[in-house]
Amino acid sequence: MQGIFKSLMKNKAFLLLVLPGAAWFIIFAYLPMFGTIIAFKDFRIHPGGFFESVLKSEWVGFKNFEFLFSTSDAYIITRNTILYNLGLIFLGLVLAVTLAIIMNELLNKRLAKIYQTAMFMPYFLSWVIISYFVFSFLSVEKGVFNQIITYFGGDPVSWYSETGYWPYFLILLGLWKGAGYGSVVYLAAIAGIDRSYYEAAMIDGATKWKQIRYITLPLLRPLMIILTILAIGGIFRSDFGLFYQVPRDSGALYPVTNVIDTFVYRGLTIMGDTGMSTATGLYQSVVGLILVLLANYAVRKIEKDYAVF
Amino acid sequence: MKTRKIALLMVTLLLAFSTVLAGCGGSNTNDTSGNTASGGESGDKDTVKLKVYLIGGPQRDLPMVQEEMNKYLMEKINATVDITMIDWGDYSKRMPVITASGENYDIAFTSSWAYDYLPNATRGAFLPINDLLDKYGQGIKEQLDPRFLTGSQIGGQNYAVPVNKELASQWVWRFNKQYVDKYNMDITKIRTLEDLEPYLQQIKDNEPADITPLAVPKGFKPYLAFDFLLGDEFPVGINMNGDTGKYVNVLESEELKSSLKTIRKYYQAGYLRKDVATLEGIDNIKTGKWFVDREQTQPYAELGWSRSAGYDIVTTPIHDPIILTGSATGAMHAISANSKNPERAMMFLNLLNTDPYLRNLINYGIEGTHYNKISDNVIEDLPAMKDGFQMPGFALGNLFLTYMHKEDPADKWEAFKEFNNSAKVAPSFGFNFNPDPVKTEVASISAIVKEFYPSIMTGAVDPDEHLPKAIEKLKAAGLDKVIAEAQKQYDEWKAANQK
Amino acid sequence: MSNLSEPVKRASAHTRRTGKKSKDLNAISPLSNVIFNIAIGLFALSCIFPFLFIIIISFTDEKTLAINGFKLFPEVWTLDAYRFLMESGQQMAQSFGVTLTVTVVGTALTLYLVTTYAYAISRKNFAQRRFFSFLAFFTMLFSGGLVPSYIVVTQVLHLRDSIWALILPSIMNAFYIIVMRTFFTTTVPDAVIESAKIDGATEFGIYTRIVLPISLPGIATIGLFSTLGFWNDWFNALLYIDNANLIPLQTLLIRIQNNMDFVVQNSSRVVSYDIASTLPTETVRMAMVVLATLPVALAYPFFQKYFIQGLTIGSVKE
Repeated sequence: MQGIFKSLMKNKAFLLLVLPGAAWFIIFAYLPMFGTIIAFKDFRIHPGGFFESVLKSEWVGFKNFEFLFSTSDAYIITRNTILYNLGLIFLGLVLAVTLAIIMNELLNKRLAKIYQTAMFMPYFLSWVIISYFVFSFLSVEKGVFNQIITYFGGDPVSWYSETGYWPYFLILLGLWKGAGYGSVVYLAAIAGIDRSYYEAAMIDGATKWKQIRYITLPLLRPLMIILTILAIGGIFRSDFGLFYQVPRDSGALYPVTNVIDTFVYRGLTIMGDTGMSTATGLYQSVVGLILVLLANYAVRKIEKDYAVF
Repeated sequence: MKTRKIALLMVTLLLAFSTVLAGCGGSNTNDTSGNTASGGESGDKDTVKLKVYLIGGPQRDLPMVQEEMNKYLMEKINATVDITMIDWGDYSKRMPVITASGENYDIAFTSSWAYDYLPNATRGAFLPINDLLDKYGQGIKEQLDPRFLTGSQIGGQNYAVPVNKELASQWVWRFNKQYVDKYNMDITKIRTLEDLEPYLQQIKDNEPADITPLAVPKGFKPYLAFDFLLGDEFPVGINMNGDTGKYVNVLESEELKSSLKTIRKYYQAGYLRKDVATLEGIDNIKTGKWFVDREQTQPYAELGWSRSAGYDIVTTPIHDPIILTGSATGAMHAISANSKNPERAMMFLNLLNTDPYLRNLINYGIEGTHYNKISDNVIEDLPAMKDGFQMPGFALGNLFLTYMHKEDPADKWEAFKEFNNSAKVAPSFGFNFNPDPVKTEVASISAIVKEFYPSIMTGAVDPDEHLPKAIEKLKAAGLDKVIAEAQKQYDEWKAANQK
Repeated sequence: MSNLSEPVKRASAHTRRTGKKSKDLNAISPLSNVIFNIAIGLFALSCIFPFLFIIIISFTDEKTLAINGFKLFPEVWTLDAYRFLMESGQQMAQSFGVTLTVTVVGTALTLYLVTTYAYAISRKNFAQRRFFSFLAFFTMLFSGGLVPSYIVVTQVLHLRDSIWALILPSIMNAFYIIVMRTFFTTTVPDAVIESAKIDGATEFGIYTRIVLPISLPGIATIGLFSTLGFWNDWFNALLYIDNANLIPLQTLLIRIQNNMDFVVQNSSRVVSYDIASTLPTETVRMAMVVLATLPVALAYPFFQKYFIQGLTIGSVKE
């Protein structure tokens, strides 16, 4: 106990710095976390406030988690969720870094700035709106794609019933929407790199490509690794709008568009059971946590500073 | 190192825990002080402030109107109201949070489509009001069609006061009158889906391709005379033309199979839109490019529809008016289980449903400011009403007390009462299924239904191929178990009510 | 910087000694430039194009839209959608003010809290830094849910119908903290900090006088994200605000939209005198996107100027 107290006193400058933030976390994040216990209860309202209700509600163990596993859909939604996320995380990383590097190299800086602003715009669009645009391309009767196909003599495709194309559509759309936002962090990171490194390398005869490979990328590595680890934490969650609105909730496409979040949403429309939705969130969080701990541990082994904690 | 970390964690958790206790204590003291006030007896002597949540957009002039209401309410029941409007889209999201957080409000709007009555009542959000109705709600009981009260009972208890309005539900075919006239159609002969065929063909053959003969969205299902257990998006129900004591799998019924053949034929003939299976909503009214669609009706609904469309719409019924359990829960007011003044709340609701002055005040506002009276029961809106005070009339209380507008037929409320009286009652009327014992299966089935229903029910895919697939998947998810549970609860309810 | 290869370290030492700064001989070739410009230009175009369309649709007549679908050159132009929204014109101006206030105050608070926290956990001699990193990070994965958060804000903190309910729940964000910490560890050399400590500076002093100025790009990034986050937030108000004077812009717009959707979908129940089919639902939806997005799109260039390389030259050299 003495040891701890001494350590705290020695670090008091730092502790003072983190105090407001830590207090915020405790009040706004950790305090509400006690509510997660609803996942294991059959929540009913009892007079006397929320805590009374929680305390008096019946403990049901893992019953609220059952519906996530009880159907043959369980495999499909899990597979879809993981695969889409892996694709979006890794391809997104490559795209964001590439864009940041290229934009930094463009000669006309004003044009580069315009491109940056433009690329950011999709972030402001909701998936509902984007789904309207997708519809104008994929609509069976008046969609642009089918119009082009029939113009060249082909048969119109019923896009919203053919599963084969959708994994590509969804990943492309997900990447497109997030590219601008994702590249900002890397742009800022590149801006912080000392220019003289590049100059020195150039003097040494390094090509542009070599400079990128040996200066830029290594300096971006910490950021890339950390952001990827963080993204892995969300691997069981999905951007709901992308998987629900864009395919227009088409039943025929469920085998390739159904993810955990959409499945739960559809399942709870009749009952709206709080316990079951909390259970889903808990399930997604726990899996994410385990994966992050594993990833973080692996990264720590290789390079201690690159880990999240 | 490790022990230090653990110790730090302990300190942090301790901090958090103490804050929790502080917060806990805070809300508890609120409750205890409240409880002593409302003790046991009615406490007529002290003025009470009732917190009321209603659905609808916040209105600019609500404070003004509320003040008038409170003047009147102080005289009558020594109470005032504090109304908060919560918007249509937000209502169902926010009310459960407000309720679960233990807030001591008194009255809230509830219905089958907003802040769902059934699951929330089952979860204990609302106070059982049978005794309160007897003591302070005599007026309500007198003017309300008794079937409203029996239909909204759960386990013999009422948990909300229904609004007196249309009770029966009825689907109708709506026709775009210009085409009816153009081809001299006698629509009175049309009733079933099959009856539509010659007319649909006529439109398809003679009209340009952008006129949709049967303009329906993906939620369309051929009408089935079934009393559904959990709404028409769940394949369990009682066949009203068969054994009315038995719950069956709707998808295995002969009626459905034959309807599906018909709708499949229609789809292939091009009577429906090609993309109907993914069509969330249909804007046929706006474009005018349609022949027939279907909708739920109430007396004189065609007038309202025609007026808002800008052209004439005529209707014929698909079936006779029927009273389902869901019909009784179209609009209700519940007293919160956390309310500190349930007696006074009931008195207010009683007044709201019987007193024309109060009822019209909350609906239309202040005479002279928001409207002018043309005659005893007819009013004309003033601009101030459109700008500052537009309340959803059907959600506020006994509709039959409200003023009419000069466009309304004079016998509007009589027609409503006639509509209600003429309707038959469904076999399971009054029975409210508790899905808890099979909630896993219900959730799985709900999710699977959404995969298959739109494309099968609109004829977009071949039912011979897809219906068996759907049935198989649903059975694997526990459909038979749900049917058995439903039958069990139904039999128990019937025995208890000696039906 | 241990992450760089040996030749580069030698070369940069060489530049430092000779003091020569070369004149962009290090630029890419004109051909590469053109290729990249075209590629990125096309991509940027694909991002902007929907917006142009949205603006056009917002000026299209609702009925024409329903009949003809999205067209670049609609048959009938109209201001109906904007007129509809402007009916709540005064309310909209008020909401705009609320959003602006919340965004500015919120971003300022966020920047302070995030950077101080991130700085502390970036310092290797902070013994408890792993604990506090985990404390922050854990919140990214786990949350208690809607009702407990609602209770904390309304019952524990009594913030219902207060503008602070729109600000406080969003001022800390573990993601921002971790990004900021990464920026600190990679751009601020330990040597600089050590020498400052030897000179007798306090941790807070080092933070304000040395670290912050070097980290402007990172701060600008967090500032941008935070601004966007506050600007786009509609959820807090939905839960906590009833007072019409405190409703932010996005909430107002989403409420208008939800109401329209709800009324249209439930038109059989809500049979009223002049609604449903006359509501310009689709065009209003687009007009709302225009109103909600344009002001913030204009804010982006403000942050952009911090993403320029070279801002940090000289400050690192001691």
